[in-house]
This record gives sequence, C-alpha cells and structure tokens, in this order.
Amino acid sequence: MTKPIYIHGSGSISIQPTHEPGYRFEAVKAYAQNPVPACDPDYKSLIPALQLRRMNKSMRMAIFASRLALQEAGKETVDAVITGTGLGCLSDSERFVETVLANEHELLNPTPFIQSTHNMAAAAIALSLGCKGYNMTYVNNASAFASALLDAGIYLAEHPDHTVLLGGVDELGARTPRFWELAGYLKHDNPVIPTPLAASSSPGEIAAEGASFFVASQQPTSQTLGKVIAGDTCYETADAVAFVNRFLRRYGLAAGDIDAVVLGYNGDIRYDAVYSTVGSTLFAALPHIGFKHIFGEYDTVAGAALHLALRLLGQQDIPQQLLLNGIRPRSLRRILIYTQRRGTNHGLILVEKEG
Amino acid sequence: MTPPEPIAITGMGAISAIGEDVVSNFRSLEQSRHGIGRITRLDTFHHDRLMAGEIGLSDKALYERLAIADHEAYTRSTLLALVAAKEALDMAGFDRHDGYRTGLISATTVGGMDATERYYDDYLSSAEHRHFIPTHPCGYGAEQMARYFGVNDFVTTISTACSSAANAIMLGGRMIRAGLLDRAIVGGADCLSKFTINGFNSLMIYSATHCRPFDGSRDGLNLGEAAAYLVLETAGLAARRPQKPLAYLSGYGNANDAFHQTASSDNGEGAYLAMKSALQVAALHPADIDYINAHGTATPNNDLTEGHALLRIYGSKDALPAFSSTKAFTGHTLAAAGAIEAVFSILALQHQVVFPNLNFSQPIASLDILPQTQLKHQQIDHVLSNSFGFGGNCTALLFSKAHD
Repeated sequence: MTKPIYIHGSGSISIQPTHEPGYRFEAVKAYAQNPVPACDPDYKSLIPALQLRRMNKSMRMAIFASRLALQEAGKETVDAVITGTGLGCLSDSERFVETVLANEHELLNPTPFIQSTHNMAAAAIALSLGCKGYNMTYVNNASAFASALLDAGIYLAEHPDHTVLLGGVDELGARTPRFWELAGYLKHDNPVIPTPLAASSSPGEIAAEGASFFVASQQPTSQTLGKVIAGDTCYETADAVAFVNRFLRRYGLAAGDIDAVVLGYNGDIRYDAVYSTVGSTLFAALPHIGFKHIFGEYDTVAGAALHLALRLLGQQDIPQQLLLNGIRPRSLRRILIYTQRRGTNHGLILVEKEG
Repeated sequence: MTPPEPIAITGMGAISAIGEDVVSNFRSLEQSRHGIGRITRLDTFHHDRLMAGEIGLSDKALYERLAIADHEAYTRSTLLALVAAKEALDMAGFDRHDGYRTGLISATTVGGMDATERYYDDYLSSAEHRHFIPTHPCGYGAEQMARYFGVNDFVTTISTACSSAANAIMLGGRMIRAGLLDRAIVGGADCLSKFTINGFNSLMIYSATHCRPFDGSRDGLNLGEAAAYLVLETAGLAARRPQKPLAYLSGYGNANDAFHQTASSDNGEGAYLAMKSALQVAALHPADIDYINAHGTATPNNDLTEGHALLRIYGSKDALPAFSSTKAFTGHTLAAAGAIEAVFSILALQHQVVFPNLNFSQPIASLDILPQTQLKHQQIDHVLSNSFGFGGNCTALLFSKAHD
C-alpha cells in the first residue's frame, strides 16, 4: 500500500439486509439452500426505471451499492471508478453462450454479449455519474477486490486531491453454479447460513453474491468511517502465518496493536484450517470475527468484510453471531481482515478508526 | 514539468496471426504480409463467412511446445500467453531468484470461454472434460502463468474489454513508479472463440471481408487471436545488466468516455482525455510524437471518433504525425491488442520504421486524414499507442526510444 486512504461512505448489497439504513448485523438472515441470491433492495428507489430495465444483476447491485456509498459520503460524483469482479456479468455470459450454441446461424441479440463484458459494472457507474476519469476492472478471482483497493491507493497517491469510488461485485449465474457443483466447490451437507464453522464444518462452500462500494480519498473529513492503512495479497503460500507476520512487521505492528481479526472461515473443512492456525498462532488473545458464514462465498466478498469492519468501528460492538471465539474487544480501533479462497489468493486489509 | 524516471522495457514476446515470435511478427509487418483469412481451426458456423486472424498452431501443438502434460487443463488464451511471456522473459534474461519484487499483470476478456462454450453441455453429462471447469474465470490464466514461471510477489488480471492489455502495461508502470514492484511482466492474451466472433457479428460490426482501418468504405473489424507480454523494470535495475533496454514506457493515460456501452462519443472525448493524460505523464507535447499506432478497428464508429480525437490533440490534419492501424495484419485481438501493438510500437522505435495501414484507399470524408499506407523509414523517438474498449474504456501508452 502507498498511503492510508480514508473511507467516507460504504454501501453494500449482500445476502444479509446490509443495504438497509442502520443495519447493525444483529439480526442475521438464515438460509437453508446453496447457492444463495442477494437480498434485493428496492432498486427503483435509487435507479431510474428505464435504466434499471436494461441492467443486469451486477450492474444494478454495483450502481445501487455505489449510490449508497456516495450518499453516505455526501458526494455527487467522483474522479475515478475502480472495481473488482471474479466472474463479471455471469448471467449475461451464460445467456450469450446458450444463444450461440442454439442459434449460431441466426442474427443474435447483441445485448447479452455487450453486457457480458467484465467492465460493464464500472462502465455503468461511470456512465450514471458522468465520470470521465480513470476507470478500471480487476478480475483476479478472490483477489479482485484487493487489486481494486491497491489501485485506489496508487491512484490517490498520484492524485492526492481526488476522490475515488472503489468496490467489488459478483453475481450468481444459473448454469455456472452447476459447474461448481460438479467441480466439487459447493457444500451438499446441511448448506445453511449462518454456516456452522470449526468442528461442525463439512466440505464445500456456500455460493452467494453481492456488491460493496466505498468512497475514498486521502483526506479525512467529518464523515470519515475509517481508514485503510495497508493491504497485501499473495497468490499462494505454504506458510500463511509467515505471510501475516511479514505484513505486521512491515507496518511495525505487534499482534497486541490490533483489536480484532476478521477471518474468512466459510465452513469448508478442506480450507478453513489456515484461519485457526493464523488465529491461534498470532492472535490468540484477540476477538475473532467471522463474515463468510453470514455472507456466503464469492470472489469479491472481501469487500463485504471491509464494509463490515467499517460498521463495527462505527458501532464499537461485535454482534454475538459474528464473534467466533467469545473474546470481547477492549476497544475497536484497529481491525485486521485475513481471507483466502480454496487455499489461494490470500489477502490482508488493515482498517483503523479515524480520530 | 520534469519527466519522472522512465520505465525500462527489457523483454518482449508476441504471438499472433502474423508470427509466432517477435522476429516473425516484424518480418510480416515489414513485408506487408497480413494474417487474415477464412476461419479454419475454430468450429463455428461462420468459418466460411467471416475472416479472422488465426494462429496456425493447434492447442495440442501449444501443449507440446510448452511441455505441458496432456491431462492438465490449459485453455488457448493461456497457452498463447505462456508462449509470448516466455519469449519476453528469455529476452529480459533476469535472474528470477535475485530477490527483487516481480509482478505478473495479465489481461484477457475471453479467459477460459473457449473451453466453456465447447463443454457447456458436455460438462453436465460426462466427467471427461470437467477438469476444465476451473479454467473459466478470466483470472485463472494468470494464476497458471504465475505457477509456470514461479512468480508469486504480485499477480493480477485486468479485464476492460479491448483496452485490457494496455491497462495491464499501465498498471505495471504505475506500480514500479509507486515503488511497489521492481519488475513487472505485463501484457494480455485472447484466443478466438465462438462467443466473441458471434458477439461482434451480432453487433453488425464484423466485416464480411478484409477490414479497412480509417478507410471511407470501412464496414467493420476482423477478429484475431494473439498474446504479447513486456518485461518492465526500473531503469536502475535494467542498467545492472549488460544489454540496453529495448525502449522505455514513458507515458500512460486512461479515461472513460462515459457516453454509451459500446459506441464512442462523436468527438472522441475519452480517447482525447487518455492521450492528453499520457502526454502529460511523459511531459511530452503532441509534436514530439513521431508515430501513432492507432486503435483503428475499422468499425465505422471507432475510426471516425478516434480520428476526431486525434484532430483535437493536433489541432489540424497537417500537424498529425504518421499514423497507422495494424489491425488489418493481425485482426482485432481484443484484450491482447494493447500488448501486441505495444510490441509493434517498440519495433517501430527499434527499427525506425512506420508500419503500413493496409487496405486503405480513400479517407473518411468528414476527417480527410491519411494513414501511412507504405512502410516508411523515418526518425522515431516517441510512439503513441491507443487502445479503446467497450464501456468507454480508453487508454493511451507512450513508448520512447532507448538512446545509447
């Protein structure tokens, strides 16, 4: 990371009612299915009906979440839009593949092709805000949000007076989750949200979707929710503890300088052990907070973790359903997020309360 | 404004319809030998109707060349990417274990779509090809590349339609300048797929014959497949090895047209802003540019609006430097275009030559600008390369000559 970036607004759509004003993560929605689609807000409340009709799920989730972030930050527009998405506009991709396979000899409707492009959410945001500035889309699977965050840091270092909108979005398709099922990614046994973790976990993840967007700049304001001090990623590591340790050392931090860790447990017994190892080796005395057991798993769910961390810094309390080890925080000033997916794309985000 | 320290380009690799390495691409450009023809390798309804820039090597031949075992799942974009990136790394010749931070920044729009469209129904009924399921996401190829080359310091993938690789090159430059990386392998790859061929055909911007960039009668593009990668390094790091850099990445700019999902605004606002910002980063004036490798897809909309944007940068057509689109050679290679054209821009600097814009006969009436149609030897110190994509994504890169 370059310099800390201040977050002034945060908007999120997920399988929890995160889009509702004042949602405090106390009432957690339960599901018994896999995959789990996002809770739809009343999109019409923030997106004109005519535009909405033409938007796929990624575009509408991204625009809605970014509107919430802008509203909270009290901003009308921004100078740049930086997004991450693992799979882009998946439903339109599927729709176009199916059309091509069935009717290649006919003249096809180009709309799903156009809207299958991975940068369509970022483009739709730019179009709706009239933002002619820098516009970028990262698609590196479970590190896509981390790359967007990194780029936002670089962009703001290059343009210290600018404000950026950064975020991540992923939607569920229809056919693709069946492929994941065949590839062994998904949980069969008792697929529920909140997902049982640790001793009661089983193989497989619960696929979900969502969008989380943030308004960021290099200047704190009275609206500032918190600041992202640093982030790091690592595609593969044989030693996650060393990866986290290196990060802490680089920023001159000891485990005791952190108030709570947010860990990416998703209830997949095959890959969750790394969180208990990192948690017990480095942060045994700290509160452990879960997020994927209530949000499900998708590539840019790290954005939802950042949204959650910022809200916890604001409310200074960890709701019972999120606290994994029963340790209550002394205070909540500095939160470290650690996540990975299926053993790859490890990511860290360090968030701090401002002022 | 003082220009910041330039970023050295110490290696490049390319595979396209006009050559399987950089040297053969250069020979084809020099001899005006295009690579566009009827579609033969891809199983599509359009193989006799549409023309494309196909690479003659089968996936099997690519597996063999790269010594990848048959049972492993690599899709064509990634195979092409490995060929090009390997050439770039061999040319750069740095020690991968010297402790400097090396990143891999790749770009693609097709990703593993060629496998997905091939096995879309097959996956459900048979286990035979299911090991290809994980290859679908655009980010998967870069992860395979990272493993193949042993790069783990930083790995990411950009997908912004047809400006993707230009943006990957730009990010490499910015990360090096921000002190986050010492070196970056940057570029992109896209293979042909039924998905993209039918997509552009459905938009009615796929020419039934050879594409004609900047021509008054142009009627659409030809798609192509390609991969190209550059090795970027801090100038200081590059100076430690005996060979001098191939060229420098001196400027970059990205802007959004914020006008329409696919069409560019009439005055080419996004393109104009991207070029202006690249010039600003390089601290160069428009008059310093000796050659422009235009995006020039040969769609009615792109060439008209890009032309307007160029005229806005230069003020008048007489002030325009030599420019050409090389897409009539390779086809439009989508996410790879920015990288293959970066290689062509560097070749232009190395050989002091402007590559011809093929298939041009008459200018666009409202612009009246003339691309360079013959190979032309001239002094070239700075080359501007444009790449524009769906979603209004516009990127301009500036490459500058390595002086002795």
